[in-house]
Amino acid sequence: MHEMALMGDILQLVQEDAVGKGMDKIEKVELIVGEIANAMPDALRMAFDLLRDQNLHFFSVHAELVIHREEAKAICVLCGEKYKPEQKIALCPICHIPSGKVVAGETFQVLSYEGSNGR
Amino acid sequence: MKVTLRTDVLTNNNKAAEFNRELFQNTKTLVMNLMSSPGAGKTTLLEETVRVLAGKYRIAVIEGDLATERDADRIRAMGARAVQINTHGGCHLDARMVAAALGELDLDEIDILFIENVGNLVCPSGYDLGQKHKVAVLSVPEGNDKIPKYPQMFMRTELVLLNKLDLLPYLDFSVEEAKRDLAEINPKSNLLPLSARTQEGMHEWFFWIEGAYLKWLQQ
Repeated sequence: MHEMALMGDILQLVQEDAVGKGMDKIEKVELIVGEIANAMPDALRMAFDLLRDQNLHFFSVHAELVIHREEAKAICVLCGEKYKPEQKIALCPICHIPSGKVVAGETFQVLSYEGSNGR
Repeated sequence: MKVTLRTDVLTNNNKAAEFNRELFQNTKTLVMNLMSSPGAGKTTLLEETVRVLAGKYRIAVIEGDLATERDADRIRAMGARAVQINTHGGCHLDARMVAAALGELDLDEIDILFIENVGNLVCPSGYDLGQKHKVAVLSVPEGNDKIPKYPQMFMRTELVLLNKLDLLPYLDFSVEEAKRDLAEINPKSNLLPLSARTQEGMHEWFFWIEGAYLKWLQQ
C-alpha cells in the first residue's frame, strides 16, 4: 500500500505547479496509470479522497480524480508479435521463448489538472 | 483552467535518485538495492557477506525497516558501518530517505554499500534509489509461486538470490521451475541458489559481487 505516498507526491506536483500559475483551488486531477506501473487505481482513489479531505484549503470538496489506464504491451524481438504481457512478461506466445520486451504499461504520470482562482 | 503536465509521478523521487547516483559515481561507491518479502533472510545474508568480504572491501549497509534498530545492530556486530532508516510504517524506501541517510556515511571511505529495503515484494520495486544493481532475495519456504505472482518485482531485478537452500529436502520447491519462471519474466536475470546459514552457494554470490565491483571501477 504505497498509494498514499504516491498520491502525496501527485498532489504536491499539482499544488506546486498550480501555485506557480496563481491558482488556489483544484477541481480535477487526471492520471495515466499503466497496467504494470505497480499502482492500484482503487487504492489511488481512496488515497485521493482522504488527502483531498485533509487539504480543503487547496482542493475543492468536489475535486475528482480521473484515471486513464495504459494497456500493457510487449513486442517479441524475434518474430515481431505484439502481445499483452500477463504473468510471464517476456514469454512470446508465438515463439514460446522469453524474447518479448515491454513497450507500454509502465507509464505513471500526472496527465493534467484543472483549477481556478477563487478570489 | 486546465493545465497539461504529463509529469512522471515519481519525478521528485527520480531527482533524488539522480542526486544519489552522482554521489555514488563521484565517490566510486558500488551500491546494491536488496529487495525481498519479509523473512527471506536479507539480513542474515548481509551478515555473512560482511563477515566474509569486510577484510577485502570497506562495506556499509543502509537498513530500511518499519521500526527498530535490530538489523543495523546485527550488521554492526559483523564489523561494518550501518545506518538504520525507520520508515514509521512506510512500505518501501525512497531516494530521499536514502539521501538523508547518506549524511551519516563517509562515502569516500566505502567501496560497497548495500541498501536493505523494507521487506515487501510490491512497493519497493518502483522506486529508484540511485543504486547500480537491484537484487531480489527469495527463499525456498516461500514456495515456487512467488516469481510468477510478483512479475513486476522480478522484471526489474537483475539477480535473484534463492536463499535457505538447506531446507530444500524438506519442502516441495523446484529450483528448475524457479529458473524457468524467472527466465520467462526476465531472461536477463540470473538465479543463484544458496544458503546463508550453511554457506552453500555463497561463494557464487561473493564472486558476483567481486565481478560487479571490478566492472564498476572500470566504467
